[in-house]
Amino acid sequence: MSSPETLHAREAAREDAGLSTAYAAPRTELEERLVQLWEAALQFGPVGIADDFFELGGDSMLAAQVQLDVDLEFGVEISAAALFLSPTVATLAEAVEDAVKTGRTEAGGRTGP
Amino acid sequence: MTPPRAPDLAAPGCAVPDLTDPDLYADGHPLALWRTMRARTPLHWQPVAPDLGFWAATRYADVERVLRDHEAFSSEHGTLLSLLGRRDPAAGHQLAATDPPRHGRLRAPVHQALRAGTVDAHRTEVRAGIRALLPYGTEPFDFAAAMRALPLVLLGVLMGLPEEDRPHLIHLAFMASAEDDPDYRLPEGPRATLQRAHRELFAYFADLVRDRVRRPRDDLVGVLLAQRRDGERVPPSAVVSNCYSLLLGAVVSLSLVPAAAVRELGRDGGFARWAARPDLLDSGIEEALRWATPGRYFMRTAKRPVHVAGTEVAEGQAVLAFLAAANRDERAFAEPDVFDVARRPNRHLAFGAGHHYCVGSNMARLTLRLLFEELFAMYASLDVVGEPVRVRSMFLGGYKALPVRGRPRPKSQTRGGHP
Ligand code: HEM
Repeated sequence: MSSPETLHAREAAREDAGLSTAYAAPRTELEERLVQLWEAALQFGPVGIADDFFELGGDSMLAAQVQLDVDLEFGVEISAAALFLSPTVATLAEAVEDAVKTGRTEAGGRTGP
Repeated sequence: MTPPRAPDLAAPGCAVPDLTDPDLYADGHPLALWRTMRARTPLHWQPVAPDLGFWAATRYADVERVLRDHEAFSSEHGTLLSLLGRRDPAAGHQLAATDPPRHGRLRAPVHQALRAGTVDAHRTEVRAGIRALLPYGTEPFDFAAAMRALPLVLLGVLMGLPEEDRPHLIHLAFMASAEDDPDYRLPEGPRATLQRAHRELFAYFADLVRDRVRRPRDDLVGVLLAQRRDGERVPPSAVVSNCYSLLLGAVVSLSLVPAAAVRELGRDGGFARWAARPDLLDSGIEEALRWATPGRYFMRTAKRPVHVAGTEVAEGQAVLAFLAAANRDERAFAEPDVFDVARRPNRHLAFGAGHHYCVGSNMARLTLRLLFEELFAMYASLDVVGEPVRVRSMFLGGYKALPVRGRPRPKSQTRGGHP
């Protein structure tokens, strides 16, 4: 999909940003949507699914905001710990899936695309 | 940050030890050092990194001025040293990290919710909560440990914090402000400790705030959610940040005042003498606040070049206003190192000064008044019977352990003495 040069440029940009993880692309539609949400909040991209929210430049204020965005977008209540204590798209996606499965949805919330 | 002018090495003040070393505070507030600093180097430059450092102000007049003068000094780069050289992400959202005029609009509803009348309405509950913390009898107990639960007796009710969550919240609050103390520090080190505590507290309040958005309640969190800023509701993330600030502001400061006073009173039978003078209850509490000054310093950042104590502070440089040093300034207090429950006037700076003057001061004063009434009613004396242990911290001053033994008064007197 991407040429070796753009890949290389991307890795260089990530290193400049001080990221300790290599870029990993989203594997599911849910991860894809979470990546978009993070990129909008952080104004940084591309965000990989193993990247740490705080390394990406996020702070607690922004994390609290993203938690609410996730609520609105997916109509589920995920515990804030999922975002604050293991802050990657991959774990957040698991938390959203769990919440959908266990029915922790709110009335009127959307749970599907 | 602009690097400072090279410090004047000929100045006698250059022998000042590293002010950021937590062990400098191992024996409590370093009173002798501060006396020298006030006399010789009232604005002292403390390097922290090659191009980073801060000025330390130790005289009453300068400390008060730095806190009050928001035209020259900003709180938006953080008020604790861990934020030195950065901008506080909570700037503009959290009370303590927001400058006027926006600060005033954020503060008004919180101030209203915590004003004396509101706080007074909870007297009975607070008194009952205090009684539950104090054992009746002659068994020795750790007074400092008992007092760690004191701040949430009232704030826990006002914020609707479930009883079972409180011990962990208290531990996190100490992790977030005494990151160098072995009881609170994580094996990964002080930075990791701060980060972990900060994130756990934020996560806790993020869930709490969301719950209040869904199921509104008429409590302090509800008041914060109803806040408006520039005509708009504040974002819930700002409410989360203010909850964090209220918890931290209350827990680590209020809990340290009683033990500081009891320790000092225990030296010479002062407890019984003060107990016999109900007319000195209020002035004694102010003296306890001055003596303890649990938050040793608060930080400000110069918005423009400005002179303090005859020295120029460059734009962008940080100044630490050492409240605890100001509260022992011989220029402001007669016999500053004597604990005098009758001291008047007592314009101490333990609650700060100016726009950021502690918004929880009414709550703190009421709680301390009810606590000491209760202590005096329960015990004829409260003696220190073991080795006190201090919190290891540059920021927090106080005891984390103070073994005491009470000499209880007869039960009948306990209930009748102080209505
Ligand atoms: C003995 C107890 C207390 C002491 C010594 C104390 C001390 C202080 C000081 C010195 C400041 C000013 C900080 C600055 O200028 O940057 C402050 C502000 C503050 N305190 Fe307290 N505090 C105490 C109790 C409380 C309690 C019980 C609460 C919560 C109900 C609280 C919440 C706050 C908040 C939210 C601020 C920020 C106010 C603002 O920026 O407008 N404090 N406190």
